[in-house]
Parts: sequence; C-alpha cells; structure tokens
Amino acid sequence: MTLPAKISPKERDSALLVAVAAGDRRALEELYLGYHRRLARFLSRFTPRYENIEEIINDTFMVVWQNANDFRHASQVSTWIIGIAYRTALKSFRRQKNHNGERSLEDYPVPTVDPTFDAEVHDWLKHGLNQLPVEQRLTLELAYHMGHSLEEIAVITECPVGTVKARMYHAREKLRQYLPALSGASPDLPSRTE
Amino acid sequence: MSHQRGSDHSLEHDEVSSLIPWYVNDTVDVHERQRVDIHVATCAVCREDLAVQNRIFEGMEAQPALDYMPVASLKRLQARLDVSQARSAAPQAPPEPVRRETWRGGRMAASVGALAIAIGVLAAGRWVQFEARVKEPSYRTVTKATLRPPGEVIRAVFSPTITLEELQHLLDEAQLKIVSGPTEAGVYSLASNSSVAVHSSLQQLRRHSAVRFAEETVPEPESGNLP
Ligand SMILES: [Zn+2]
Repeated sequence: MTLPAKISPKERDSALLVAVAAGDRRALEELYLGYHRRLARFLSRFTPRYENIEEIINDTFMVVWQNANDFRHASQVSTWIIGIAYRTALKSFRRQKNHNGERSLEDYPVPTVDPTFDAEVHDWLKHGLNQLPVEQRLTLELAYHMGHSLEEIAVITECPVGTVKARMYHAREKLRQYLPALSGASPDLPSRTE
Repeated sequence: MSHQRGSDHSLEHDEVSSLIPWYVNDTVDVHERQRVDIHVATCAVCREDLAVQNRIFEGMEAQPALDYMPVASLKRLQARLDVSQARSAAPQAPPEPVRRETWRGGRMAASVGALAIAIGVLAAGRWVQFEARVKEPSYRTVTKATLRPPGEVIRAVFSPTITLEELQHLLDEAQLKIVSGPTEAGVYSLASNSSVAVHSSLQQLRRHSAVRFAEETVPEPESGNLP
C-alpha cells in the first residue's frame, strides 16, 4: 500500500492514523508536524507560554500514540486530535488550580499579538478575552478562527450543541462590553439613533 | 422595528442569528450567505450583531506573538516515546508509561514488525520534505534507547528555555550531575552526586516546571558499569 500523490488532507490524516495505530512512529511525526501550528495557535488562547503549549501538544500526541487503535474512522481525525488537546488543556488548567488554589483567569492571559497588527483593534479584544472562562475562549477560537461548525465544536468539547451556543452567546455579550466606544471611525457599526 | 412580522420573522431571526459567526469568517455556503444578507437588511438587531461579530473576528485573526518550534518540540516528544518504549520493552518495567499520564490503558504500540511495514507505507510525497526539515533520522530503536552511560541513574529532558545557571542550580538541589547528553532528542543522563536516594533526587527534579521529563533508569542486572 502506498499513498496516492493527490489525496485530501482528511484522507491523509486517516491514512497516517492507521499507520500510527500499527506502531509507526514516522507517521506519528508527520501527523505531529501537520498539526503543530494549528494546535499551538489554538492553545495560545489558553496560555501565552510556548513551553506550556508544547507540553499540552506533546501530551496530546502521547494520547494519539496510545489510543490510535480506538479511533473510529467514521469521525474526523482533526476533531479527534483537537478534542484531545482541548481536554488536555482543561485538565492542565484544573491541575494548576488545585496546586495553586484559586487562580484568576488573569494568570492565563491571552498572548500579545504581532506588533504590526493595529493595536487598537485587538487591545479591547485582549482585555475582553481575559475575562472569559477558558472554555469560552477556546470555543471562540474554534468557531471564528478555525471555522469549525457548531456540531464539530460539540464533538471536540464533548458537550451538547446547546452548550456550545450558550458559550458563544455569553462570550459575545461579555466581549461587547469591551468594544471601544464608537466614533465616526467605525463605519461598519450602525448608529443606535437611526 | 425588528420583530414586527411575528413568529416567521422571529424563527428566521433565531436561525440567522446562529449563522453569523460562520458568515463573518466566510465558511457559510452561498444559500446561507444569501439568507443572512436578506434577513440583515430588515433586522436591526442582527445587523448590529453582525457588526460586533465582524470586529470580534477581525480581532481574533491577529497572529499570536508565538515562536513556533515544531521540530524542537517534536524531538522532546520523541524522547518521551523513546523512554516509554524502552520501559515497555524492559521485563521489569513499571506499569505507568510516563509521568503524570493516566490515559486509558497506557498500552504502548511498540511492535517493531509493525513499524517496518508502516514505514514503507508513507514513503511518497511530503515525506521527503519532512525528512529534509528534520535533517537527521529521528527514529530511534529500542536497543539504542537502552544503552546507558556509566553511573546513569536518571534520564531527564529539560525545558528548552532553561538557562545553564538554572540547570546547574536545579541539578545541585537534586544532587545530580550530567554524565552524558543531551542526545539529539534532548535527553540527559544524570548520575548521583552523593549518597542521596535516587527517588528523592527524582522527586526534587519533578518539582521543577523546567523539567519536562525525568525517569529513574531501570537497573541492568548484568551491567559491568556499576562502581
Ligand atoms: Zn434578526
């Protein structure tokens, strides 16, 4: 068996995971490099420290390695892997909380962003995101940036679609409070007085 | 003015409202897009929501200031896999595969036969690029992983950001010294600096957040290296 030259990312992931289940470390490495950036960015909504991010990614791939046999190929490899990363992050968050007593979310600030990016655009968002529970922040990233559907997010986060909707709603309402007061500079927001 | 048209409008409002996140990131299909456009033209609430969500989306698109280090990170994963494979290959290996891992089963798929077959499977395409990026052969055999330098009692992997000073301090505290390493996978072999018990050195190490991984080396019964 060889992989055809042109296969979709989904097929490639599936083939790699079959090889991983058979104990192929090179397939695991290929899968790892294919997911690293996506997971690192996703997890940067959880912690800004690369070494913590790396630890969660590596824990995730230890689970992938150990449990590849349990994967059902009717579902998507990507939601499976991102789901493991999501749960690993939450576990690590709870473990930290137990070790250090109640930590505020301020201990898990979102990272500063690329300095070339317009500071005004993201400052309000950064402050807003810092006020959100970890689950809500990660859900926003899954939806807005990663483009996962409600159903996929429900699979990844192992909760009902209604819970995903509620998290997105509450996150949005909170963020709305941090939106800078509108001046004439933002033409895309309709005036309340109209 | 938004809810004047009764329950039809209200139902459409609810459904369109839940599409907005995927409208702003452009992952809705053509029909859904049209549906949102039509509704938003007559619903001020959704119009405002759309504007807010556009700004959330825009803000979330910023790249985090993060140094991605996939190859270095992968090497540390390989070190963990090496150790857990070595442990599962050793007859006296303890049941827990890796520190802090409590995943279901904990079984390691360490079949060398399966490996040989599977390596052939992915020979084509991107694989060549992957090897170029990783540069050196990253796959390590179980036998290689069990070769030990003299005096080694602990194998450890440290955070990539640890300074030499911090490392020295940490080793002093745990009464350990480096006898070899790091390997290409970042593994250090550590020997005891005193008569302190290995497990207390190990505990000392594991207390540090800069220690990614620390394992007591499984004793080799027939070893001629011991003092
Ligand atoms: Zn509406």
